[in-house]
Amino acid sequence: MTKILFTDKLDSCVERWRSAGMTVIGPVQRANSSVYGAVKSASELDLNLVLTDRSIKELFFPQSEPMLRYAITKAEINTDEFLPPSGPRIIFGARACDASGLAIDDPLFGWDYKDEYWFQRRNESVIVTIACTKADEFCMCTSLKLSPDSTKGSDILLRPLENNKGWQVEELTDRGREAFKSVADLLQEGSDPAAATVTVPEKFNADACAEWLKNPENFESRFWKEISARCIGCGSCTYLCPTCHCFDIQDEGGSFEGIRRKNWDSCSFALFTMHTSGHNPRSTQSARWRQRIMHKFNYFPGKFSANSCSGCGRCTRECPVDMGITETLQEISKLSQ
Amino acid sequence: MKIVDRHDEAPGVRTMKLEFQDPADHELFKETYRTGMFGLYGVYGEGESTFCVASPETRKEYIECTFRESGRVTSALARADIGDLVTFRGPYGNRFPLEEFYGKNLLFIAGGIALPPTRSVIWSCLDQREKFGKVTIVYGARTVADLVYKHELEEWMQRDDVELVLAVDPGGESPDWKHRIGFVPTVLEEAAPSPDNCVAVLCGPPIMIKFTLISLKKLGFDESNVYTTLENRMKCGLGKCGRCNVGSIYVCKEGPVFTAEEVSRMPAADL
Ligand SMILES: Cc1cc2nc3c(=O)[nH]c(=O)nc-3n(C[C@H](O)[C@H](O)[C@H](O)COP(=O)(O)OP(=O)(O)OC[C@H]3O[C@@H](n4cnc5c(N)ncnc54)[C@H](O)[C@@H]3O)c2cc1C
Ligand code: SF4
Ligand code: SF4
Ligand code: SF4
Ligand code: FES
Repeated sequence: MTKILFTDKLDSCVERWRSAGMTVIGPVQRANSSVYGAVKSASELDLNLVLTDRSIKELFFPQSEPMLRYAITKAEINTDEFLPPSGPRIIFGARACDASGLAIDDPLFGWDYKDEYWFQRRNESVIVTIACTKADEFCMCTSLKLSPDSTKGSDILLRPLENNKGWQVEELTDRGREAFKSVADLLQEGSDPAAATVTVPEKFNADACAEWLKNPENFESRFWKEISARCIGCGSCTYLCPTCHCFDIQDEGGSFEGIRRKNWDSCSFALFTMHTSGHNPRSTQSARWRQRIMHKFNYFPGKFSANSCSGCGRCTRECPVDMGITETLQEISKLSQ
Repeated sequence: MKIVDRHDEAPGVRTMKLEFQDPADHELFKETYRTGMFGLYGVYGEGESTFCVASPETRKEYIECTFRESGRVTSALARADIGDLVTFRGPYGNRFPLEEFYGKNLLFIAGGIALPPTRSVIWSCLDQREKFGKVTIVYGARTVADLVYKHELEEWMQRDDVELVLAVDPGGESPDWKHRIGFVPTVLEEAAPSPDNCVAVLCGPPIMIKFTLISLKKLGFDESNVYTTLENRMKCGLGKCGRCNVGSIYVCKEGPVFTAEEVSRMPAADL
């Protein structure tokens, strides 16, 4: 017997979680794009999307986040640190590629110095992932050794029932179990069969790509110029990516008071590595694109034993010039044959 | 931290001496600081900027840093006066492995504004002079005015346990200039220090490093005995913001100190 959550009970669950003090977050439509946003009732959730336009990353690592406020008088500098907002929350209806994206970034934020902004939010969030029964041409989780029902990074995995009336509940972590205890009476035991997860064809061979990238000779290959000639360095691919994590630190305000913030940044931007002397180690767009691919599929795995990509396909789906990681890795797969 | 002293080294180049306000912070610094490490020095409203700690690990009562006024943050730092407060995060990064230098001859080579990181190692060694062999310092700048730490150059010049070779680029000399005229690599080859039992510490702009490495090779130095620091743009200093990477290396965590051999294994186009 499996625990089943029927769709018509979801609203009561949302109510229950909310009255227990949890913020309930899920895929919603906001200002012409779909995002993970807070909801008051289940009816606001848009669970039919293949994937939200914006990734889950911003719930853990906001695009712009205050770190401290400073106020300076003649003799003193006063600072107030902004601690990451606390409070339990449940993210209902994540996709496997988004949940695994978080798990991919955990070691980076925990490496040596532990980033409390990230981990505070990680520790207070329950991630309820719904396995995908549909995909689009950009989905490529399977090429990254993940799948539409991967459990990586999730606390609960829900498998949609065949008749679309609810989900089988798979509890994966204590945090997930705890959150579902409060709705235990709204679940039912049942043997309703789960619908098949969508089949996502493999688009490239990640291992072959890794081998090719590791070969120092290929660093200077003409390939990089050719494949990235169209890139306009807009940075969309990095901002939408659940695993990209580069940031900048900037002061906003004047000499006497203001706020120091952490903002997303992107290795695609021309000034990202510019030295003040004017020397720029990655002065061309092709060098920057190479860095993005190398970082995700060679350097990051070398350090943290996983590709810095979960295959969500957003970088390709939303690129204004139809580039993205898929084509590059497909070409590298061919080169490495 | 409070600015307790400051002075101009050369046009647009200033040294600040900083003292800790909080004794606990000072204790932590004393425990962790080793020569080669860097810090993020800041002015609220302007931001933070990365400089090496220019004072040696043998003198931890204060921090000295020497910077060139070049952008927003450094201009703000240059406006700050004695008694003003500035921020400091650090010390971050790795260090020069001084213990491995014990008993060896030392060759320091620096160009222009890159004397500060070198100076931190030089004084760390001179403050425990008996642990090292012969000490040679080759320092060059574009013009006489651009030489930094002039008072200390004078002091090293007087010492009989230090050989100081000073140079300025052709055309940069003043009428009373008594030292060498020429570029660092050339001057180095003329001075011809022996590579036997010798480690070299080399800091300078990328172009100077490139040519000096060739000269060192000619002189018979092995790349594994040549140390240098990389100065990539940094923001976090903590291995997270993704800015300082050269190939797979996070310069802020695994550097800034590397041997020339390690640098030669990095993708050259990324430096
Ligand atoms: C480990 C390490 C040690 C260092 N040690 C020292 C030291 O001891 N002394 C020292 O003087 N310096 C040192 N540096 C270099 C120093 O960090 C920079 O020179 C300094 O941060 C720049 O000053 P700033 O912050 O005022 O510039 P910023 O105000 O940060 O100005 C830089 C901004 O301008 C942009 N920019 C810069 N040049 C150009 C250009 N030509 N065209 C367009 N945009 C441009 C940059 O992208 C950036 O946004 C060190 C660096 C490192 C990493
Ligand atoms: S990439 Fe895979 S996990 Fe992500 S939405 Fe597509 S099918 Fe689902
Ligand atoms: S690959 Fe596309 S989305 Fe990414 S920076 Fe280039 S143009 Fe923008
Ligand atoms: S690189 Fe592209 S496919 Fe991979 S996780 Fe980022 S946005 Fe998704
Ligand atoms: S300075 Fe941020 S990763 Fe090195």
